[in-house]
Amino acid sequence: MDFTPDSSLAEFRQEVRRFLQDVPADLKGLRRATRSPREEVMRWQKVLNDRGWGAPYWAKEHGGTGWTVPQILVFDDECSAAGTPTQDGFVHKLLGPVLNAFASPEQKAQHMPAIFNGERLWCQGFSEPGSGSDLASLQTRAVRDGDHYVVNGQKIWTSYAHHADWIFLLVRTNPDVKKQAGISFLLVDMKTPGITVRPIRSIDDAHHLNETFFDNVRVPVGNLIGMEGQGWSITKFLLNNEHATAADLPELKRYMRELKQFASTLHVGDRLLLERPEFALKLARLDAELQALEMLVQRVARLEQEHRPESHTLGSMLKIRATEFQQRITEAHVEALGDYGAIAYPHPHEPNPPANYPLQTLANGIANEMFFRRASTIYGGTSEVQRGIIAKMLFQL
Amino acid sequence: MDFDLTSEQQLLQDSVRRYVDKSYSFESRTALLKAGKNGSADNWGSFAANGWLMAGLPEAFGGLGGSVLETSIIAQQLGRALVLEPYLGCAVLAAQTLAACDNTAQKERLLPLLVEGSSRVALAYSEPGSRGMPETVALRAERSAEGFTLYGLKSLVMGADGADAFIVSARIAGTQGISLLLVDANSAGLERQALPLHDGTWVEELNFDGVEVGAEALLADAGKGLAVLQEGLAYGIVVLCSGLIGSMERTLEVTAEYLKVRKQFGVPIGSFQALQHRMADMAAEMEIARSMLHVALSSMVNDTPPVRDKTLSSAKMLICRAAKLVCGQGIQLHGGIGMTEEYLVGHYFKHAMVADLLLGSSDSHEAACAAALQAELRA
Ligand SMILES: Cc1cc2nc3c(=O)[nH]c(=O)nc-3n(C[C@H](O)[C@H](O)[C@H](O)COP(=O)(O)OP(=O)(O)OC[C@H]3O[C@@H](n4cnc5c(N)ncnc54)[C@H](O)[C@@H]3O)c2cc1C
Repeated sequence: MDFTPDSSLAEFRQEVRRFLQDVPADLKGLRRATRSPREEVMRWQKVLNDRGWGAPYWAKEHGGTGWTVPQILVFDDECSAAGTPTQDGFVHKLLGPVLNAFASPEQKAQHMPAIFNGERLWCQGFSEPGSGSDLASLQTRAVRDGDHYVVNGQKIWTSYAHHADWIFLLVRTNPDVKKQAGISFLLVDMKTPGITVRPIRSIDDAHHLNETFFDNVRVPVGNLIGMEGQGWSITKFLLNNEHATAADLPELKRYMRELKQFASTLHVGDRLLLERPEFALKLARLDAELQALEMLVQRVARLEQEHRPESHTLGSMLKIRATEFQQRITEAHVEALGDYGAIAYPHPHEPNPPANYPLQTLANGIANEMFFRRASTIYGGTSEVQRGIIAKMLFQL
Repeated sequence: MDFDLTSEQQLLQDSVRRYVDKSYSFESRTALLKAGKNGSADNWGSFAANGWLMAGLPEAFGGLGGSVLETSIIAQQLGRALVLEPYLGCAVLAAQTLAACDNTAQKERLLPLLVEGSSRVALAYSEPGSRGMPETVALRAERSAEGFTLYGLKSLVMGADGADAFIVSARIAGTQGISLLLVDANSAGLERQALPLHDGTWVEELNFDGVEVGAEALLADAGKGLAVLQEGLAYGIVVLCSGLIGSMERTLEVTAEYLKVRKQFGVPIGSFQALQHRMADMAAEMEIARSMLHVALSSMVNDTPPVRDKTLSSAKMLICRAAKLVCGQGIQLHGGIGMTEEYLVGHYFKHAMVADLLLGSSDSHEAACAAALQAELRA
């Protein structure tokens, strides 16, 4: 093992910083949010693409940057520190790798330009009211009719369906075989007649979740990815990509930076918060754990890159620990605000935030984020399901 | 020690439970949330009519003379329903502080009005730098010909909306210690900003910019206010913690019901041992918290104020942390549905987060406990 820092990485960091300097001012220093508004996401994608960084996580052969994992982490870290918009994670981290691996040349020609140019946002239509952890039980039907599939059913928890132009969808194409074997992977234009999106408000006082209904939606057969019935193995491929990114490491580092800023600005009595022993201890514990998590991310990413099977169990462990950390550190933020932590500040994406509440600039959005993070141990495979995977794969239990 | 309720206490518990079950369903609470700031006047009227506002106040001033136990019993039931009315802020914090002070004229005038629900008072003691701990007070009261003039800020006053007066902790220029003054809610020079909390209740931040009060506003001998304030806060902490026991109970019930009906992999998810064990841990967490509440209640009855205050700090941090854990796991065990605003379980977690920060956070109380322990061991 070699722990010597990679000096080329420092140069790379400088390169990213130089790029970020020239980014238009209104795309920097943006408010904390799990996902930026649609227009910002789209503009940011164009800026990245103009620089040749339209697909920062993909291999060169797929039109990506071909960056190493440490480079990707540096890139994400610098963007998060600069407060640039978020990217469409669905397409970059989930759908993109699937298209690269399974899509036909025609399908790539249809979708890739729009992805690179930031003209099309995506959402993920997997979960259904009756199918959450047991995804393979999904019921949404797709019945072949000539050169179309006719889709009927309901999806739920479709994040940003109301912002999305397209959805990647799991459907049941064959009800008569073992449940995993009857599932197919479809791409659907959200403007197709018969699709209804209904908002669900969540406890972080935001609208990102939706119910999505399909009523005789006609989808060209050409939108099937891979083969009919191959949906489940494609999904397993996709979900394995989800673990390392589920850690949200750049966000964790941002949380830590901001918590340190809270510590050195807020007062308790006549002392700075950081001088309070109970807070200093908490900060120190979180800080140490973040270092370990960062290293775990590197390890998982390396194993994934080399397609080593341990990446799955370690990825699940990372998912569990990092998402629990997200919850604890955002709670620490809210607690650090003292009394003001209890205030329901307006959501940072509220177009006309009402009053100017005390500490609003500092507190902005952190409580929304804390409440949202209760979901991070649920989405992308619950912690309970991850634990089951670890016990089974690691110890054959 | 007898852990069973007396028959009167049982009746009280049953009647509050019946009330919240009938009039305070999640749906009616949601309607109240949308409609206004502090629940409904009708509910407050019923609280008064049922005697819940007077249960813990001395008979001499119109109360029933009940002990802190009766107050705790009421609060536990109200906590099951996450009531929005300012029971804690007005009926407990302010009323008990008033009851503990030595200005008999003000007590005779005000307490009967509070008990019958025709007037409300709120307690303004916390400041941005004090974070709910009563000793740090920067608000200044300068002596004037008529009485006092007040300058300074109070943060997050519970039950301020609709209150007719505030009990304000202040430092009187030239006097050691903390004093308590009664300030009319409509005083000139008093700026009020309403602030919503995560759990749907509202508080106010009060800015005193030369607010004048008469000499009769002084509720406790100048400089002797801290001990009085601590009496009120002691009650407040017990009531807040009692409410959380109710919130945890309800979260456990709702979650257990859900685990029986939600099916995944062809079976109710409650058949997974991982979730059974989690429920068992959550229940144990709640019973530890309930035991700690008993410790606190016993201390209220039997201990000297310094011992009691340390016990209450222990209780505040332990019970609030238990509530965050239990209610947070309530969301987790529900999966996606637990994250939605329309479903009740998330609201219990929100309230637990708020409760942790009110009346001094878990962190602050932990630090207070540590300091008290250090002092004890050094002595
Ligand atoms: C904020 C958010 C965003 C989301 N975004 C999307 C999206 O964009 N697209 C999409 O398709 N889906 C999305 N989801 C859905 C998400 O993937 C599901 O919520 C998740 O798979 C859990 O399913 P469920 O909610 O039905 O919970 P359930 O599966 O009903 O789980 C309930 C409880 O049972 C436990 N449990 C279930 N099975 C087992 C088992 N075998 N052993 C032990 N415990 C078990 C779970 O861990 C959980 O605690 C999102 C969810 C959230 C909360």
